Amino acid sequence: MDNLKRCKKCLLPETHESIIFDEEGVCNICRQSEFKNEKIDWNKRKEELTELIESHRGKYDYDCIVPFSGGKDSTWTLYYLMKEYKLKPLVVRFDHGFLRHNLNENTIRVLRNLGADFHTFTPNWKIVQKLMLQSFLEKGDFCWHCHTGIFSYPMHVAIKEKVPLIFWGEPSAEYTSYYSYDQAEEVDEKRFNRFVNLGITALDMAVRLGGKIDERDLKPYTYPPLKELRKLNYRSVCLGSYIPWDVKRQSEIIQNELGWKGDLVENVPPGYNYEKIECYMQGVRDYIKYIKRGYTRPTHLASLEIRHGRIEREEAEKLISGYEGKEPQSLAIFLELVGLTKDEFYKIAASHSVSPWRMKLFEVEAGEKLPDFDAWSRDGKMKREDASSQLERWQKSVK
Amino acid sequence: MIGIVDYGMGNLLSVYSAFDYLGANVIICKHPEELSEVGKIVIPGVGAFKDCMELLKKEHFDEALNEQVIKIGKPTIGICLGMQVMAKKSFEGGVYGGLGWFDADVIKLTITDEKKRVPNIGWNEVSHTSNPLFEGVPENTDFYFVHSYFVNCHDSSDVIATYPYDIPVTASILKNNIFATQFHPEKSQDFGLKILDNFISWNP
Amino acid sequence: MSKRRLIPKLQLKTSHYNPSKMVLVTTKQFSDFIEIGDAVSQSKIFQDQGADELIFINIDRVNKGIDILAGIIHNVSAEIFMPITVGGGVQTEQDFRTLLSNGADKISINTIAVNNPDIINNASAKYGAQCVVVSIDYKQEADEKCYVYINNGSTKTKLSPIDWAVECEQRGAGELLLCNIDRDGMRYGLDNEICNAIATQVKIPVITSGGCGLAKHFIDGFKQGQADAVASGTFFAMQDQNFMQTRSQIKNSGINIRVYS
Repeated sequence: MDNLKRCKKCLLPETHESIIFDEEGVCNICRQSEFKNEKIDWNKRKEELTELIESHRGKYDYDCIVPFSGGKDSTWTLYYLMKEYKLKPLVVRFDHGFLRHNLNENTIRVLRNLGADFHTFTPNWKIVQKLMLQSFLEKGDFCWHCHTGIFSYPMHVAIKEKVPLIFWGEPSAEYTSYYSYDQAEEVDEKRFNRFVNLGITALDMAVRLGGKIDERDLKPYTYPPLKELRKLNYRSVCLGSYIPWDVKRQSEIIQNELGWKGDLVENVPPGYNYEKIECYMQGVRDYIKYIKRGYTRPTHLASLEIRHGRIEREEAEKLISGYEGKEPQSLAIFLELVGLTKDEFYKIAASHSVSPWRMKLFEVEAGEKLPDFDAWSRDGKMKREDASSQLERWQKSVK
Repeated sequence: MIGIVDYGMGNLLSVYSAFDYLGANVIICKHPEELSEVGKIVIPGVGAFKDCMELLKKEHFDEALNEQVIKIGKPTIGICLGMQVMAKKSFEGGVYGGLGWFDADVIKLTITDEKKRVPNIGWNEVSHTSNPLFEGVPENTDFYFVHSYFVNCHDSSDVIATYPYDIPVTASILKNNIFATQFHPEKSQDFGLKILDNFISWNP
Repeated sequence: MSKRRLIPKLQLKTSHYNPSKMVLVTTKQFSDFIEIGDAVSQSKIFQDQGADELIFINIDRVNKGIDILAGIIHNVSAEIFMPITVGGGVQTEQDFRTLLSNGADKISINTIAVNNPDIINNASAKYGAQCVVVSIDYKQEADEKCYVYINNGSTKTKLSPIDWAVECEQRGAGELLLCNIDRDGMRYGLDNEICNAIATQVKIPVITSGGCGLAKHFIDGFKQGQADAVASGTFFAMQDQNFMQTRSQIKNSGINIRVYS
């Protein structure tokens, strides 16, 4: 492989955000996983969940809000709360603009099967484009609108509909150590600021865009003020803080019980078709991570499998070297939508490299085209002159 | 209702903001009479011991505090200099008498390690006993300290937290209804706020 | 020693697009201003990411009134519960009082310290050494010597940063904040040579700044520079890096730093 220092157990490299290696060379995410399996009294946590739910049942127009993408985690969360506890949820989806066909079918199928009110919101595409370009330039991650929208928008709905209990899916301790498993992870503004919004709030984004945007257009990406949430007596929690999270098992259940279907994802090994099926920009997203940090989805999946004791290290290494680092076909679409050339794309992504990784650009290999590729919308391309002022600002900062 | 003593020394704004942020009803008490209207008392302080005691006496806060805290027994927290004035006496720049609520002296931090500095300004790991004010605070959590003098207790059962700085230095004391911290909870982020939150719901 | 510290340096300037507002900017060699955010918003983010303290400097060359700075700090203090150092345009002891009563814990002085060095002694005696930070900006000249610059880096003095640092300590400063102007915002690393020369001669804490572009630069600042703290303005604004990530990379290199979760 490469010469990045990696966890002796799960193979996550030193460039993974928030990773710390202990004296044995094992990473803190592995240790969190051990804690999750050995030290948590899950029976007690389940009791706490029941108590939390019963204290809210029947008192409001909905028992809870379930923020929903249609992927494996939010589908499991919805399924579990409705089957196990017979709750009446309001399902809230923030549409990031790149939902895939199979995912939309899943959503219809799941919601018809379970029966719940569904609230979906699609923000202004012209604003989304600007935000994608700005956050790619300045943070090497074009998904700012999605990260912030997914976590802010449902909170606005909670306030409007006066529904205080909000259930998210997996706790972040499953993948990073911004939080650990011994704390109850509250999905609040602190968490939003800690790692969700890439260090930029909507207010900061307005400053960065130099007043060229109507501030009202940034409302869906703005976390509501604490005072308003307190008035609601809100509780915004992860289901995964109360029941042990196991994505493979959970995906099998929703497939069998609800007819939820997995999908192929660019540059992901076979056998993992439950992972990240929601977004047709996922391939580009994963690829940028590779350019910056020298690892991406195959390493992530392999590390999870090792931690769950499902594969050994050698097999994991094969998975990684076989699938990692290929240029996705969807890159061409991304470039059109944000008005960049391929050269610019590589330059921008590489400028966000996390040391000591530096990608060797002459070793690029192309990935496979997926069956629904032609259905991925290329409408609303960014004109070059519209991209140029944002690009110039970035060029000024790096020259 | 929580009352913060305003005797002219100390960063009141941060202490006030912290309690307000936590949702408590908090007022600033500029006059000693106002202490009889509150349920809990906060004594902040930044600066020199001598100046602090002089101001407390000049404003007659010392009498009011003795009445409200010792006689009536209202839950009270002292912060930094506000902790030091609870001692019997201090050796900072001379010898001066304190409120005498704890059997302790305030003496200078003397260190032999060349790499350490006085005043000690910065984050230090605190170890604490099991008590209601530190509930939910993990062992060896960092808190923010700014001080050259510390409270040396003669009765070790008063000490509920220390941090290592050559020797164990008193970080927090507790006796009956009186609690105090050498560190600044209003400057120690989450776990500092947790301590203040515990104080808000404390029923000694 | 207390743990080493990581400190965001927040530079305030009047917004080009909204002249009634002061915003945060990044700089390159003390110019090339790029607007990157709102003071209160960014402070909250850094707090939630576990920064050890905050440094605010008003670098505007026109709007230098203490009231403006005090107003911003007052708003920040309502939601920020960690130590705050404030500077930029401080001229008098009354300015110290104004800023301290609006929520600042430490005051940074730069130009006024050089023009009227007694202010260091007086402020230290009145408010305590822990409140007084002297900020030293400097450049290396053609003669290969370094000289202290004042007035937002526009006026050269005859002072050497090392000699000046030693004098500041003698006068009662509680902390020093160093910045190599040529390296500011350039992202190729800190000036560890001058920092080391100063840190090994004074007993008060030294904060180094100017030039971080990689996590490694922070590590070098601690190890080679012997700094107690590293401050950074540009690094976190324009990179896919946040405080907690950088903190774990520093911790992995063996430096005693607060790990926050």
